[in-house]
Amino acid sequence: MAIEGKRYDPVTVDVDPEHVAAFAWAIGADPADGVPPTYAAVYGLGATAPQLFGDEEAAIDFARLLHAEQEFVWAKHPDVGDKVTSQATVTADQSRRGLRFVTLETDSKAEDGSHLCRSRALFVIRSA
Amino acid sequence: MEQKVTFREEQIAAYARASGDTNPIHLDDKFARSVGLPGVIAHGMLQMSIAAVVAGKAAGGAQKLRRVSCRFAGMVVPGDTVTFSAEETEQPGKLALKAINQHGDTILTKGVAEYSED
Repeated sequence: MAIEGKRYDPVTVDVDPEHVAAFAWAIGADPADGVPPTYAAVYGLGATAPQLFGDEEAAIDFARLLHAEQEFVWAKHPDVGDKVTSQATVTADQSRRGLRFVTLETDSKAEDGSHLCRSRALFVIRSA
Repeated sequence: MEQKVTFREEQIAAYARASGDTNPIHLDDKFARSVGLPGVIAHGMLQMSIAAVVAGKAAGGAQKLRRVSCRFAGMVVPGDTVTFSAEETEQPGKLALKAINQHGDTILTKGVAEYSED
């Protein structure tokens, strides 16, 4: 069943210094450069994608899922110690030729409500 | 700006822990093969993050990045060496991102980064 337009509850995560340092190390970034921009994969996409994957109505077959495209657009980047609140919406859900294409857009905001990042992920799920 | 990275299982596992994406296709060879993969594969987001690190260097600072976008076009397995590059385009503040493995296969396509010039 297509779930285009479905919006999930906001999720708040702490930008934890140790966690950020581990992320920076894993991607080869210098921790002195601040929170790596693609840490949005954690505070934005990573905080909200499990809501989609665990949604019975969405019926995503996780073992057949591929991350096909990703875009992040930043207004600004968070600092360590910040709290970031992210909310995801399924902006497209289409099936064609045995493939299902699901787009999940996640908006992330700082504690003062200012916009930080918009993530757009395209997932492709192969039919069983 | 260019950077060569040889992917190791330890780096993929470190990214899985740090990102919270612990899908077994990145961690468990047996499971990965059971779903038709050659074995564990690197996260697309790990590839994109490395490309963004290179883009941040080309931009003169990671915090200047305002947009990064790409398509995950090829698999990366442990032992693969990938050359990531970020090159200026005709448009100010816009970089073309590329990632090519040791066989000459493109693994990220439509790679773009934009940065603020201030």
